[in-house]
Amino acid sequence: MIGKLLQADFIKIKRKGFWLLSFLGAFGVVGLQIVNYSLRYDWLIQQSDDKWLYYLYNVHSFTAMALVLGIVILTSLIASVEDETNAWKQLIALPVSKMTVYLSKFTVLATLLFISSTLLAIFTFSYGLFLDLGEPVPYIEILKFSFYPYCASLPILAFHLWIATVSRNQGIPITFGVIGCIATYLAYVLPDWVIWKWPTLMNDWNDPLMNVWLGIGFGILLYFIGMFDFIRRDVK
Amino acid sequence: MEFIVQTNNLTKRFGKHTAVSAINLKIRKGEVYGFLGPNGAGKSTTIRMLLGLMKPTYGSIRIFNEDLNKNRIKILKQVGSLVENPSYYPHLTAYENLEALRKILGAPKSRIEEVLAIVRLSDVANKKVKSFSLGMKQRLGIAAALLHSPKLLILDEPTNGLDPNGIIEMRNLIRRLPKEYDMTVLISSHILSEIDQIATSVGVISKGSLIFQGPIEEMRKKANPKIRITVNEPQLAYQSLLANGIQVDSQNQHLYLSEQTDNEVAKAVKCLIKNDFSVYRVEEEKQSLEDIFLQMTKEGNLQ
Repeated sequence: MIGKLLQADFIKIKRKGFWLLSFLGAFGVVGLQIVNYSLRYDWLIQQSDDKWLYYLYNVHSFTAMALVLGIVILTSLIASVEDETNAWKQLIALPVSKMTVYLSKFTVLATLLFISSTLLAIFTFSYGLFLDLGEPVPYIEILKFSFYPYCASLPILAFHLWIATVSRNQGIPITFGVIGCIATYLAYVLPDWVIWKWPTLMNDWNDPLMNVWLGIGFGILLYFIGMFDFIRRDVK
Repeated sequence: MEFIVQTNNLTKRFGKHTAVSAINLKIRKGEVYGFLGPNGAGKSTTIRMLLGLMKPTYGSIRIFNEDLNKNRIKILKQVGSLVENPSYYPHLTAYENLEALRKILGAPKSRIEEVLAIVRLSDVANKKVKSFSLGMKQRLGIAAALLHSPKLLILDEPTNGLDPNGIIEMRNLIRRLPKEYDMTVLISSHILSEIDQIATSVGVISKGSLIFQGPIEEMRKKANPKIRITVNEPQLAYQSLLANGIQVDSQNQHLYLSEQTDNEVAKAVKCLIKNDFSVYRVEEEKQSLEDIFLQMTKEGNLQ
């Protein structure tokens, strides 16, 4: 059942810019460092002994923002595909459970964001090589900086999918999206419990892995809250 | 008798407002059931409950003799539907739209060509749906509803917003379905004449209550025909007929006979001529189904 719904959902997101956005998100984050390093390579390269780590921190400073922004746009976009002609009523009148419909939407978005994170790792690695930051290449660190924010942002994804699917007006999720982006930008002054801080991997314990576990745990929790609310409601 | 759809005291409340109140629908196999009522009478709400889009506040629904609440997915495998305005994905082609639904329904791929042919959209299969006219979108909606060869087709206001040509086309299409594809059809409308020619049974809903249900002939019988006579001097003729013991009414300068047997009509005409009135017209005035429908829904409102 879920397999068929996923195939249908991947047909529906054609020509809507989902794939392009997933690419641009990852490319943009590294792209900013391409600009940064092209303009002031000599200065940047002298800032730290561990050139790779310094470079990774630079890349990472935009990752959280790009993730939050990407989540807001992708969730609203996937809801709008069904909202546009109120195709929800057609979809739910098919022999499918509402639970699976919701799971399928979540899976599509989680997959796109995963692909985006993978691309981020590839772009980070490639440009790092191009900059000739020296040996050894910190493969593990590159993967951590690419996939930890992804895991830590799962609660935001679950939250946005929930409000985007149950709102009749996409203005509501977009408003939350703007607030979320500002929160992510100001993450360093916010307390640890604010979910928009998590993708930045900052916390009082100085342990990024904490954000990963919190992200997965609260992601699952918020996912189920959203799903049960979606099931409970009458279809628009 | 086998009922395809049967509801038992189906009720839906939105807060304090009761949209559908204790409805007992009975739809037999092979029927085209016309579900009639003015806008806002509760047609769409009922249909949404039949499809499991809304949960009833009270009452139960049985489709194919199974409880919708318990076997929703199993039942919906054999139900095709088009609810109000057609739903489609405008950025996809007609073919892709059907393909997305086909994947979920698990119908064979060849079915897409077949249903496109049924609704005559084969030529535009690879055009994006956003460029379609409303009539074409509506037909695509029907094609989608037919994809998995359902045994029950539920169409909510399928002719809404269509031009006369589109309405006729849709009507011909729906008329073919039960015979050619062995389907039972439930079709709702607020305009009686639209389904008058295709429905075999009707249910009339007003203010959330079912005020009539039965074969369409039975509804036609309520159409009390009257014999209307037009003469040169209606008032005098009226008195003259009464004096001769013939039951008659006078309204708007016309005479209406209460008895309609051939004998009675002949007797009245003979009497008029004998008394030297000029008889201009003797005609049968039938109340149209539209009038009966309006009268019924008006009575429903008074309750």
